[in-house]
Amino acid sequence: MKKIFSIFSLFVLLIIDFAAFAQTQRFPRPEFESGYTQPVASMPEPRAGIFALVDVLLLIAALSLITWFIHRKRSRTGVVITSLFSIVYFGFLREGCVCSVGSVQNVVLALFNPGYHIPLSALAFFVIPLVYTLFFGRTFCAGVCPLGAVQDVFLLRPVNLKKWLQKVLGLIPWIYLGLAILYAATGTDFIICRYDPFVGIFRFNATFFMFAIGAAFLLISVFIARPYCRFLCPYGVILNLVSRVSKNHLSITPASCIQCKLCENSCPLDAINKPVEVKQMEGKRSATRRFILLGMIIPALMIIGGWVVSNFHENLAMVNSKVRLANELLHFDSNTMKESLEIEGFRTSGKTKEELYLESAAILKQFYYGSWMLGAFIGLVFGLSLAGLTRYKYREDYEPDKGECVSCARCLKYCPVESN
Amino acid sequence: MKNKLILWLSVVLLIVLIAFMAKDLFKTGNVSQENVYEYDLNSLRHVDASKISHKESKQIKIDADEIHTIAVDQDDNIYVGTDKNVLVLNSEGKQINSLKLRQAASCITVMENGNILVGMSNRIDIRKPNGSLRNSFVVKGDRTYITSIAVQDTNVFIADAGQKIIHHYSIDGIKIKEIGEENRAEGIKGFVIPSPYFDLLIGRQGELWAVNPGRHAFEAYNFKGEQISSWNRTSMSVEGFSGCCNPSNIAILSDGSFVTAEKGLERVKIHLPSGDFKSVVAAPDLFEPGTVGIDLAVDSEDRILVLDPVKRLIRIFEAK
Repeated sequence: MKKIFSIFSLFVLLIIDFAAFAQTQRFPRPEFESGYTQPVASMPEPRAGIFALVDVLLLIAALSLITWFIHRKRSRTGVVITSLFSIVYFGFLREGCVCSVGSVQNVVLALFNPGYHIPLSALAFFVIPLVYTLFFGRTFCAGVCPLGAVQDVFLLRPVNLKKWLQKVLGLIPWIYLGLAILYAATGTDFIICRYDPFVGIFRFNATFFMFAIGAAFLLISVFIARPYCRFLCPYGVILNLVSRVSKNHLSITPASCIQCKLCENSCPLDAINKPVEVKQMEGKRSATRRFILLGMIIPALMIIGGWVVSNFHENLAMVNSKVRLANELLHFDSNTMKESLEIEGFRTSGKTKEELYLESAAILKQFYYGSWMLGAFIGLVFGLSLAGLTRYKYREDYEPDKGECVSCARCLKYCPVESN
Repeated sequence: MKNKLILWLSVVLLIVLIAFMAKDLFKTGNVSQENVYEYDLNSLRHVDASKISHKESKQIKIDADEIHTIAVDQDDNIYVGTDKNVLVLNSEGKQINSLKLRQAASCITVMENGNILVGMSNRIDIRKPNGSLRNSFVVKGDRTYITSIAVQDTNVFIADAGQKIIHHYSIDGIKIKEIGEENRAEGIKGFVIPSPYFDLLIGRQGELWAVNPGRHAFEAYNFKGEQISSWNRTSMSVEGFSGCCNPSNIAILSDGSFVTAEKGLERVKIHLPSGDFKSVVAAPDLFEPGTVGIDLAVDSEDRILVLDPVKRLIRIFEAK
């Protein structure tokens, strides 16, 4: 039965895929003899109000369904079904936009730029998964997010990473989140969308560079579970934090854990915490000393981080098109250099160089303060990660790590305990 | 062990991917200095070997500072116009005469009786076979610049790239008329000549063929100045001509096919009398990039003589 269902799902997926592909190919893009390549559109056509509402309703429905599958039915099959739906609808049909991962930037831009009115659908895609996570853990990551789902279906030969390596690589999404916020806040770019490895595949219009990146991520996904979710996704970082305080997170056993250890190695994300024996209570003096030490180290790391990153604020600002143009103009010598299209465009815009330099200086100032904050944030993450290593956690049962667990429900079938 | 290898390879790949993404984000290379509209001919310089019909059989080095033009007489003697003189070589390349000039030669034509017509800026010198001056005349006009001469009996046709017209003179220097002036009523569009390359020759039936380089066209006229035939081939591919103004120079084979030389894409080709592309004689890779003024001549055995002004060579091509 399962087999028939899988084949049917694959068939439906292929038909829908082909329809989308045929639509894109019906009117081939013109080719230019000059070698000019058309830029890849960063966003699909905006949705009319009613369709945006449909997207939000479908997001809620998918989240409710997958949460029901995980928490009530304890069904991995249900998760796979929802994953396939998400890949097809939120991935290929909606072309990966609007997605919750990228919506972080819309929210940040709306907070820092009063002139920007965030679309309600973008806000809904940002908030709704957070609300579900707050109550039920990362069920959004389990199979509603098309980026996570597409990696999950590729996981064929899972290999577990060393803990230390996970910790080190796990710092990257924090840095990525910080950068994404900095660039969105300064109105520079939506880098999460720009470097979304799968969106170009969903839209059949990836540049070779992004197609190679996406294909490589899928290749890694065969062995390492969800590499993008774990080691890059900035929204995953936020969900991780929210999930830690989630009210009804998935539990491996439906009743009491019998310590059979069957689930011990079942998680490809290595997100199952093993029981930890009772440890002798740490002396009050030692604990106080450790607390004071951490209390000094973390602010120091924040200051050092802020100072270091602020020294690179000009490099960070070069991603901004205005700053880059100003820099280009500053170093442009009409006698020896060929005028670029950007400079030509600027020259014909009627704007003066002085105006551009003033705007650029203002942006640089934003980047100076922003990079201080980014550095301090990175320092804080490092400090808290260090503090987390020194924290003792007593545990009796095998439990999912509430932050890292994406509620994929793989571990559930390993538990022999029947529900009451 | 195998799993460990896969794991580490995956981790390394992941780190490499992230590094690539970071590099792409922060790279500040001069990407914007690249002109996406650049007229890049490199991809067109390659010619499929199956389309090349001739092989280079001989090279003759010319001892001169500048060489501008080439012609061949009935006996296959070769005439090379330089900045100072006209060098006469036998068919083996041995110099047999040298005629001193008052100006640099821009074109040469040798008549059936052996008289040599040399075009220089706005002047035509007609030399006897022994080199002595028969007569000389100036083509009037402030902008006159003579680029080619064709002779039929006593009729002399002079291509004037400066005034964008063909002058019809008698051998004695008497002007008869002008040919090729724009005349919409007669269907003559006029010559488009953006650069000083404007060639002409006499066809097999005695008709006058002129290149209209700005239109990538060949136009045939009778001696009354009526246009009797034309064809054009504009194409970025080897089948036609591209750029502002091509072909720059032409010659004619015994079967009436045209030999053409181009600039920009430095190549020599053969087009059938209908204008259709036939074959490539010399591909662009045989010339220095930027070579202009590749003049052509054809001898009695249909060998194609190509003047390479950059390498200062006469390059002789024979059919394979």
